[in-house]
Amino acid sequence: MDGVTITFYAFSTLIIIGAVMTITSRNAIGAVMSLVATFFGLAALYALLYAHFLAALQVLVYAGAIMVLFIFVVMVLNRDEIHPFSTRGWSSTFAWLVGVGSVLYLGVQLLSKLLNFTVSMSHQSGGAVLHRDAPPEDFGTVAAVGHLLFTDYLFAFEAVSILLLIAVIAAVVVARSHRSGAYEEPEAAVTESHGGHA
Amino acid sequence: MIPVENFLVLAAVLFCIGGLGVVLRKNVLIILMSVELMLNAANLTLLAFARAHHDQHAHAFAFLVIAVAAAEAAVGLSIVVGIFRTRRTVQVDELTLMKH
Repeated sequence: MDGVTITFYAFSTLIIIGAVMTITSRNAIGAVMSLVATFFGLAALYALLYAHFLAALQVLVYAGAIMVLFIFVVMVLNRDEIHPFSTRGWSSTFAWLVGVGSVLYLGVQLLSKLLNFTVSMSHQSGGAVLHRDAPPEDFGTVAAVGHLLFTDYLFAFEAVSILLLIAVIAAVVVARSHRSGAYEEPEAAVTESHGGHA
Repeated sequence: MIPVENFLVLAAVLFCIGGLGVVLRKNVLIILMSVELMLNAANLTLLAFARAHHDQHAHAFAFLVIAVAAAEAAVGLSIVVGIFRTRRTVQVDELTLMKH
């Protein structure tokens, strides 16, 4: 076993354990911390796949920004759960069984389709489609991916910037407290002044 | 050199764990985290195929997926905060406003 293989299995173990702890933990803070570990492991695997730009982005955006957002919301809303999994009554047990069964079926189908696809791809033209050797020098660097983003995917790039703007505005509008502040006071002032005139 | 199948198996397992989290948990926050796990599994698949084909277009696609995931987390969490403000709960089985 060489170093790359050991790295892959070490970080895969970290990812699986972190993901399982995320969905089983009763404490939401524990779930967030396990998710941070999972995202760091995924960043390491992205670097192993020569996607250096995406690995840096994974750490910055996921482990940095999104997880901080989650931690803030968890701090505001946190309370431990007595029954974290939805199993009360026969109907929810039935729903539990159907949900778990369908997800496992989805996983088996996904796995078999993906593996069949790669096997058929590697059999085509003597395995020339799937490369086993190292990619070119600038594969996955900021320069190469950025060039792609500003040429072929320029429209999608700009659309995503508009999407982020809309998401920021929507988050502020939805999460703002409607009771206090800017809306009611001007209306009250207006009705008062009307009443004064009458 | 690690074969691409290993990454695909890991991504499928990760996707399933995320799906189980969405189906089984009652806390909205954990459900949102599980959705993030599923998005990351999809990203891992994209990057594994990109490496196997020596094709960087999937990197641009994964970049867009990360941006959309950030937007989804921001909007989803603000909706959770809004629900908590009016209903005082984040458990999905207690949000039965549209059931009756």
